[in-house]
Amino acid sequence: MILETTALSYDFGSGKKIHFPDLQVTAGEKIVLVGPSGSGKSTLLNLLSGVLPIQTGSIRLLGQQYSNLSPIQLDKMRANHIGIIFQSLNLIPYLSGFENAVLGLEFSIARRTKVGDVAHAARSLGSQLGLTPNTLSQKPDQLSVGQQQRVAVIRAMLGNPELILADEPTSALDPIAAKKFISEMNSSAEDSVQAIIVVSHNPEIIPWFDRVIRIEGA
Amino acid sequence: MIRLMIASMRSRLVPIVLVIVALSASMALLLAVDRIQQATKNGFNQSLSGVDLVLGPGGSGLELVLYTVFHLGKPTNNITTETVSDITDDPMVEWAVPIALGDNHRGYRVISTTDEYFDRIKFGGDQPLVFAQGAPFSDLNETVIGSEVAEALGYALDTSIFVTHGSQMIGKLHDDFSFKITGILESTGTPIDRAVFVSLEGYELVHLGWQNGSKTVSLQNLDINAIPKERLYPKTVTAVYLGLTSKLSLFKFIRAVRDYPEEAISAVIPGVALAELWSIVGIVDSVFQLLNWLIIGISIVGMVTMIITGLDSRTRELTILRALGLSPPKLAGLVLLETIIISLTAVLSAIVLVWFLTVAAADLLNQWAGVRIELTWLAIDELSTIMIIVLAGVCASLIPAGMVYRRSLHKGFSN
Repeated sequence: MILETTALSYDFGSGKKIHFPDLQVTAGEKIVLVGPSGSGKSTLLNLLSGVLPIQTGSIRLLGQQYSNLSPIQLDKMRANHIGIIFQSLNLIPYLSGFENAVLGLEFSIARRTKVGDVAHAARSLGSQLGLTPNTLSQKPDQLSVGQQQRVAVIRAMLGNPELILADEPTSALDPIAAKKFISEMNSSAEDSVQAIIVVSHNPEIIPWFDRVIRIEGA
Repeated sequence: MIRLMIASMRSRLVPIVLVIVALSASMALLLAVDRIQQATKNGFNQSLSGVDLVLGPGGSGLELVLYTVFHLGKPTNNITTETVSDITDDPMVEWAVPIALGDNHRGYRVISTTDEYFDRIKFGGDQPLVFAQGAPFSDLNETVIGSEVAEALGYALDTSIFVTHGSQMIGKLHDDFSFKITGILESTGTPIDRAVFVSLEGYELVHLGWQNGSKTVSLQNLDINAIPKERLYPKTVTAVYLGLTSKLSLFKFIRAVRDYPEEAISAVIPGVALAELWSIVGIVDSVFQLLNWLIIGISIVGMVTMIITGLDSRTRELTILRALGLSPPKLAGLVLLETIIISLTAVLSAIVLVWFLTVAAADLLNQWAGVRIELTWLAIDELSTIMIIVLAGVCASLIPAGMVYRRSLHKGFSN
């Protein structure tokens, strides 16, 4: 078990409070979170990543209880053990694809140590995802949305963080590209036994996941 | 992380460069005005050097300095040469240079004195008067002029000039006796540049036959060589510059002058009177300083506004960095560091700019206003000014840094 949540809930104020189902995630497991808009899927990702403070309930990642960690320790935990992919605009515009891909290693000595040859690892993962070194050398505005999402996948996965959190990563892609993207992302994660939790509205990608968890909201 | 910040700043190069330009221009303005002010103050305080005391009629010391050093105003009284003899016979007195004021030449003050004036009077600290051309006067009909008089009126050696009675240009001309220019002084940046010097005897001569401001006898009708020497020795002078044998006797001597029974006279220390005068005219300078600080304040506000405005467009960048594990204090630190880099770059640019301005304008300022600016990169007191500016910039940038800190703490990734 790498991740476990118990009795997690989040109060948005003005009477809106969401109770989340308990999660137990094992290494290499692929989970998709589905539910209507506003049901709190993204909030759950924010809680799991340690960006939003826990109000009630508990989260334990790799044996570490979030409530026992200081904000700085939580940031360090996220840098070392969690990779994050957003639904769009994943990349910093003034950095090249390659610089964006290796950015996560700037903030985590543990992940950088695991990688060894950073350039080789980034290009190798890029090649698995269909990105050539030439593509990686380009700035985000010169890349297609799909290519940008793949660069974000490299950034999230480089250095083998145990947990990948992705917030609707295929929303900007067409259905064929979305399936291809999920397939490539999952297969890259399988090689390194990384658990993936994806938030998605797209039912077509569900078959690529081990488990579907429905978030019903308030 | 530094590389990341530099890359981020490069992506916002135009607004950042504009802020640096605005900030460095205002800082350069402040430094330049400060330097000019300092140079003016130094020049002002060193308008007269090498003189321990100015002896004059009783009254305001400030007034005495105004008309003897700055040639401003009219002397209200004179002191008799008998008194001068009594005072200068004191063993505490090493040397004495009398001056008599009253006439002008085309608006420039005529100073009648002895040729010792050119040896004893110093300016700008301890700089002696230097003749650009010619030599001191040695005869009744000879004159020495300041550099500005020569330049403004296009005078050269051997040019003959007349002086006008009184301190106003509209006075009656002493057209019966001309003075030949025998010397032109080098520029000093002091009122000396705007003076015409004649001998006491020559001055006395042109006033022979004058009664109540009107000429009664023309010198052309007189045999000047037949006039006895003692007849030309003045009975009164306006003031006397004094050098004492020892500075330690300064106050004792001033007391002795104050207690002189025959005539109401006073002795002022030029430096003290000049400092008193500067404290009055320095108010204008303070207003300039205030304006400059306001400009700098506005520039700092501009810098902070630019950073705050940019925060919205950088939300995604900051969110990504936060997702990658960068803590809110470090994100805030990035913003703070960015401001420090902007401020320091502006400071360096300002220093270089002021240096070039000083090089370019030093001669011009000296010629135009008699202000001598020292060519230095950065003076110690300027360093403290710059530290204040950088510190103010850093303090002001705590606002956007705090915003980044709070925003990254409370907002999730999807926001």
